[in-house]
Amino acid sequence: MDLSINIGGMAGQGIDTIGDLLTKVFVKTGFYIFTVKDFESRIRGGYNFTQIRVADNPVHCSVDDIDLIVALSKDAISAKRDQLVEGGIIIFDDRFDFDALEECHYPAPLSKKAREVGGSTRMTNAAALGALLSVIRFPFSLAEQVLTEIFGKKGEKIVEANVRVARSLYDLTEETFSGSCRHNLSMIDSIPSENRLIINGNQAIAYGAMAANVKWVSSYPMSPSTSAFIEIVSHANDLKIGTLQTEDELASLAMAIGASYGGVRSMVTTSGGGFSLMVEALGLAGMTETPVVIYNAQRPGPSTGLPTRTEQSDLLFTIFASQGEFPRIVLAPRDPLDAFDVVTRSFNLAERFQVPVIILGDQYLADSVMNVPRIDVTNVEIDRGKLAADRLDDPYMRYRLTDDGISPRAFPGDRGRFIVSSGNSHLEDGHITEDPAIRNAMVQKFLRKITAIKDALKPPDLYGAKTTKTVVVTWGSPWGAVREAIEHLEHEGVSIGHLHFTDIYPLRTKLLKDVFTSAERVISIEHNATSQFAKLVTMETGLKFDGYITKFDGRPMTPRWVILQLKEVGI
Amino acid sequence: MITVEALEGPQKITWCTGCGNYGILAALKKAIVELDISHEDYVLVSGIGCSGKIPHYINLNSFHTLHGRPIPVATGLHMANKDLHVLVHTGDGDCLGEGMGHFIHAARRNVDLAVFIHNNGVNALTKGQFSPAAPRGYISKTSPPPPGSPMEPVNGVAHAIVAGATFVARGYSGDQKMLVELMKAAITHRGFAVVDILQPCVTWNRKLTWRYFNERTYSLEEAGHDPTDRGLALQKAFEYNGKIPIGIFYRTEAPLLIDGLSLPDVPLKDHVTDRSRLQALIDDQIL
Repeated sequence: MDLSINIGGMAGQGIDTIGDLLTKVFVKTGFYIFTVKDFESRIRGGYNFTQIRVADNPVHCSVDDIDLIVALSKDAISAKRDQLVEGGIIIFDDRFDFDALEECHYPAPLSKKAREVGGSTRMTNAAALGALLSVIRFPFSLAEQVLTEIFGKKGEKIVEANVRVARSLYDLTEETFSGSCRHNLSMIDSIPSENRLIINGNQAIAYGAMAANVKWVSSYPMSPSTSAFIEIVSHANDLKIGTLQTEDELASLAMAIGASYGGVRSMVTTSGGGFSLMVEALGLAGMTETPVVIYNAQRPGPSTGLPTRTEQSDLLFTIFASQGEFPRIVLAPRDPLDAFDVVTRSFNLAERFQVPVIILGDQYLADSVMNVPRIDVTNVEIDRGKLAADRLDDPYMRYRLTDDGISPRAFPGDRGRFIVSSGNSHLEDGHITEDPAIRNAMVQKFLRKITAIKDALKPPDLYGAKTTKTVVVTWGSPWGAVREAIEHLEHEGVSIGHLHFTDIYPLRTKLLKDVFTSAERVISIEHNATSQFAKLVTMETGLKFDGYITKFDGRPMTPRWVILQLKEVGI
Repeated sequence: MITVEALEGPQKITWCTGCGNYGILAALKKAIVELDISHEDYVLVSGIGCSGKIPHYINLNSFHTLHGRPIPVATGLHMANKDLHVLVHTGDGDCLGEGMGHFIHAARRNVDLAVFIHNNGVNALTKGQFSPAAPRGYISKTSPPPPGSPMEPVNGVAHAIVAGATFVARGYSGDQKMLVELMKAAITHRGFAVVDILQPCVTWNRKLTWRYFNERTYSLEEAGHDPTDRGLALQKAFEYNGKIPIGIFYRTEAPLLIDGLSLPDVPLKDHVTDRSRLQALIDDQIL
């Protein structure tokens, strides 16, 4: 079973509410889900949708083909109709003129019943939900429980009215919908999934940071990163975490650097445009060797670009951002569950190597919802790196020259020592210098870290046989769509493998070189227009790809799209 | 007790002979010696410019940051460890130009910092361009005559009062006795304390000289100014040209930024998130 439901309408019509509700209903009854949201940069009106994929096996991406459309506005019919599968169902408000009716199309009195039964057309979304549950033969009692939970906060009266409206459409649909094209989700005894925690990428980032003992988060709001910050702020009182919405992004990172110098784990959340503003402070973190974690939920640029949509186009900017040269680490989670792992590792890497760590998420990752196993935060490993011993027989030097390039850290307030940091070139004791020999020694100290960082990063994942004819290379969030596409192609007998990077920079090159040696053809797939990761690979290794698949319309990849593109480049 | 000798900086001073910064450094050392605070609990955070070098001329914890950014760095540091006394040393170019936004927002947040503005009306280290506090008509390579700097100066004292700073003073590098007292009061003040310190740049600024300040500055306290009156403080902040008031313009009490955040009783640095509590919060969301 693998069913795709698209609920569309105007911003403000409660699309999100039905989407969240349905997602919960399905997960609660044991299905796997993957939910994405597509919305415009406006508060009301326009055309938005939530797309829920329901399956009895784990799914990691959204799909093109839609089995069922619930349309709360006329645009919602016209926008998605082409993607409806043969025999797919459209449920829509009978207020709309829609004359191309087929057997599976169901004009339902959604707003009418909402008004009559619930007393307000604002409950049209509850009516649509009732109709939908009926069409997929889903037991209403189970939905009712979840409905009560979700609306519960709004008070008993509102819950009761919504349930009544949903129920009325559920019953009415049983009687009146004559189409034979119904799905049957009533056999829910099997319960394929016990993964009952629903998270999106930004929540996973927030949970990971909190599990890693982040104590200071300063941020300026910017889509699509904001909800990660808000998730932490909303637990700040419970868990005693310092959080602040700052005057701008540069202040955010400067504060995080100050907090880290003071001895706490600190983080900022932003998107590409905000990261641009932070770049000056990024260099300060580099020069002062101050650990800090920067979460960049990318969106399409340049400039304001497509503010609510997705792209992976900040990679090269991230790697090269700031004047001067210093080591940094760049990681890109592949899905919400992976995001938790990535963020917890990022704090350890930042402190172990005393470098800024940048997590490259994107809108697709940030807002994608999936059900995951219970996350255990109690056993997250915390490695604060090399700290200065308490003994004070040596004078403390913040930038002591060491073989591994890492100088022991201490924090202001420690007795018997002073911690001197500077964004200028400095001596071992932290005070400024323009001495050429010291300058050389300090830069070499920096750069010595890179080898050890590479060893500490995770190698890419190689899927498929060691010697496939074609190998596809990806990084970050396209993982889900590409993985599914390639599994499908393998099933068709195509000789194809997949190399995926989560830990991006500094780049580990061994598996890349192996793949380029063994495969006839290596193809990159990225969510940007200029194949930035492929460029990075070529820059670091001299290896050239045989094909470049790019997507930069702001919409996520789907397995079908990936398959079509791969076939076009001739696999 | 710390001595002035123990505070002696590790580096040779690179300021010009006769620079107003010497008086600021001397006053800072005296203030630290006179205050009953462990010298390990001070941190100097500086920006860029001649003022930015002060951490290297005094033996304390310090963080020499970016142009215009010492205040946000200091804010983060103070959040991490509220037991520290965080002192910002910044120039008028640093604080009132590049860093103006941070200055205003830190004032309205009432972050518990002491901010010392080394105010000489020029961007000195970049060789004498007009700074935000340069008087209208100030002549430099980037503002040749006529008409010199084509705008009014930023009034740091007035901005601080309007933005919500809870301690606002003006000092003068040539009045050591008062400057030490102002620094001590600023350091021990609970809240955002600003001391705008007049200091001649002997190399570039031919107008704001030692003589100019010696002839014009007068003590607010001796003139009977009431520093609890915000309106009066603002009025005094606009008094310039003929006479320049120095001393405490305004002093009040207000909630601190840390009072409005969900911080633990111990310094944030020593706090560890209760992960079983986080686990419970997450487990609550399992369907």
